[in-house]
Amino acid sequence: MSEPTGPVLLRFDHASLAYGRARVVEDVHGSVHGGEAVALIGPNGAGKSTLLRAVLGLVDVVSGRIEVLGSTPARARREVAYVPQVDTLDAQFPVSVGQVVLMGRYRDVGWLRRPGVRDRALADDALEAVGLAERKDDRFGTLSGGQRQRVLLARAIAQQPRLLLLDEPFNGVDAVSQQALLAALRRLQDDGAAVVVSTHDLALAHLACDEVCLLNKHQVAFGPTEATLTPELLRAAYGGQALELAGDSVIVAR
Amino acid sequence: MSLLQDGYARRALIEALLVGALCGLVGVHVVLRRLSFFTMAMTHATFPGVVLAALVGVDLLLGSGLFGVLVVLGVSWLTTRPRSDSAAAVGVVLSAGFALGVALLSAQAGFTRDLSAYLVGSIVTVQAGDLVKTALVLAAVALTLALVGKELVFGAFDRGGMVAAGYPAGRLDLLLLLVVELTVVTSVPAVGTIQAVALIVAPAAAARLWSDRIGPTTALAVLLGMASGVVGLAVSQAYQVAAGAAIVLAACGFFVLSVVVAPVVRGRPVPLGVG
Amino acid sequence: MRYLLEPFGSPFMQRALAEALLLGAVAAVVSVFVVLRRLSFVADVLTHTVFPGVVIGFVVAGTSGIVWGASVFAVLSTVLITVLAGRSRVTEDASMAIVLTGFFAVGVVLVSRQTSFTSDLTAFLFGRILTVDRQQLVVTAVIGAAVLLLLGLLGKELLFRAFDPAGAEARGYRVLALDLVLNLVVALVVVAAVRAVGTVLVIALLVVPGAAGRLLSDRLAGITLIAVGTALLAGWLGLVASWQASVNHGLRLASGATVVLVLVLLYGVAAAIATARKVRA
Repeated sequence: MSEPTGPVLLRFDHASLAYGRARVVEDVHGSVHGGEAVALIGPNGAGKSTLLRAVLGLVDVVSGRIEVLGSTPARARREVAYVPQVDTLDAQFPVSVGQVVLMGRYRDVGWLRRPGVRDRALADDALEAVGLAERKDDRFGTLSGGQRQRVLLARAIAQQPRLLLLDEPFNGVDAVSQQALLAALRRLQDDGAAVVVSTHDLALAHLACDEVCLLNKHQVAFGPTEATLTPELLRAAYGGQALELAGDSVIVAR
Repeated sequence: MSLLQDGYARRALIEALLVGALCGLVGVHVVLRRLSFFTMAMTHATFPGVVLAALVGVDLLLGSGLFGVLVVLGVSWLTTRPRSDSAAAVGVVLSAGFALGVALLSAQAGFTRDLSAYLVGSIVTVQAGDLVKTALVLAAVALTLALVGKELVFGAFDRGGMVAAGYPAGRLDLLLLLVVELTVVTSVPAVGTIQAVALIVAPAAAARLWSDRIGPTTALAVLLGMASGVVGLAVSQAYQVAAGAAIVLAACGFFVLSVVVAPVVRGRPVPLGVG
Repeated sequence: MRYLLEPFGSPFMQRALAEALLLGAVAAVVSVFVVLRRLSFVADVLTHTVFPGVVIGFVVAGTSGIVWGASVFAVLSTVLITVLAGRSRVTEDASMAIVLTGFFAVGVVLVSRQTSFTSDLTAFLFGRILTVDRQQLVVTAVIGAAVLLLLGLLGKELLFRAFDPAGAEARGYRVLALDLVLNLVVALVVVAAVRAVGTVLVIALLVVPGAAGRLLSDRLAGITLIAVGTALLAGWLGLVASWQASVNHGLRLASGATVVLVLVLLYGVAAAIATARKVRA
């Protein structure tokens, strides 16, 4: 992986998160530079989604700080894009692929106005970037799971974000869609954006991410991929759910 | 109490107690399975059955009951089809049923009077025969729920597990819907159509706030149902207001009281911010 | 064709038709959102919670007070319902059912204290579209315009929220505020319908057209067009049916009810077409 090229776009400063009175994630510390991709790894319930929501300003930071694009999460939200898991969406909903991607422009278009020529062009480019331009007029639900995930990424790309957050985008996604997702993310990074992606897929993290944050209700490690995805640290993150194979290979339970 | 001196008042009281108990029993399952909208739709959709029964001259309970069975089967079928929006389907059935009933009824003379009786109930004109019918329905429902109550609760919480364990989950679901329908057609003459839902949902929802176990919840629901009847009738007599509505307001009152008081008495639960 | 046009010779039938078409079109557009957001129960609750407002308005200021009373209670109950839907201690549908029946019971109690109990009750609940006057048409038109304006201005945000509430929240939209707006829009339609179709039957206008549209189309524009078309057709044919039945067969059928019945019939036709399409495919 290359050296971080850009300024710090996301910084965790010993941040702890809570829902009401219950602390859910403790002491996250580290920074993400422009052009970098960071993988958020940990077992189910570790707080990965919570951490992403905190970056969006939707979860309380009860100690420490999260700094997004040099500002507070709430204020920076305009330039932060979030890609949810595709199976949270109703596949029967009567929207077309093009309409979904155009939704990424709504906030910038603003209340009371309609998307204009430039917005549509940005949406079309974004759809092109994930390789689904020809499906623009099809109903969203008629696409495969992986293709729908790509459409959601296109929606985020249309926003022209500087920071991109993805919540387990590779779950159950076919190989073609996975390639398309990775290629689109790579292009965003080349343009200077930072990417944070939560995933279970260690091989993918090795392949595509510069740094890894290991999480299990508290931060186990945050550092370069090679150095962080070691058997000891993975076992620490996954508790008894990690299985060691011959040599240094480790399998983790989902 | 003057309530017990007149024959009709005595009968009204007994009917209120019986209906309150019946609704409380069934209400626990309605609340557990989130069937409140369905119950609401039932009250609207069985309306034409009442009108038809009156037209044909058949016993109202029997006529509306039979019609109601058809409606239950229809709605069940509609909601189990894949790619169906059950809320919309229920809405369509509700509209259709009620409009049909109104149309049929408006073709009769005495439109407004009969309609009112159906909508707000007329517990004070209850006859001894009606009391017997209500008591029989109560007994039948109580017996049914005693026999399959545990299974119904199981199915409410873990339908998948129930199917896997070999239970006929679909048929149990349908059985419950039929029990609800029977309760609705039995309660409507007493408290009116829309109010029947309140008597089914409110005491059970209130009871749910006090206990997490099915047994105590059911007992409390039955008690609150009956108490609503007594309080409602008393208020109705004292202030000259519609009895059915007064009973419903009593039930809602118990619910609101429970929302406010139960958390304090039981100790505040830890607020969960998630979902 | 003469059969379908002859009822509308007299001014009162013409006004009834205008009211039915106006109301139907506006309600149909709203019903698309009701169906997409699965708000059928919320809509049903709102149709019942405005009832006490209708009664109070009538008692205080006669027939012209109805709309005001209904509006006050519409706003009150919209806020209550939206707030309740956000909390989950008591299950949402139970608390909504209790709000619905509680408010309705208050309305019944108020009516029962009046002397003309039964006829007032049915008028409030089922409306009297045949006695709609000019002023009522104006009220309907104004409310309809407000509703369409709101939906036009906020349509894209409402669509986004309907499709992906988590994404909308992540984007910085206040989902609760958007929900409040939509619930308010539904409540406004109920208020507009109170005099014409009555509170009980307006639920049909708020659900069935959208449901029919959804059966036949996968695109928002198509659904809306079909919904509006269905509602307009039902308004017209329903009034024809009621008039013809009365004049030719001596059968008095409440007009509000016939409109709803035609609407449901059209839904049945839509369902048949949708099933035939699936079988052919």
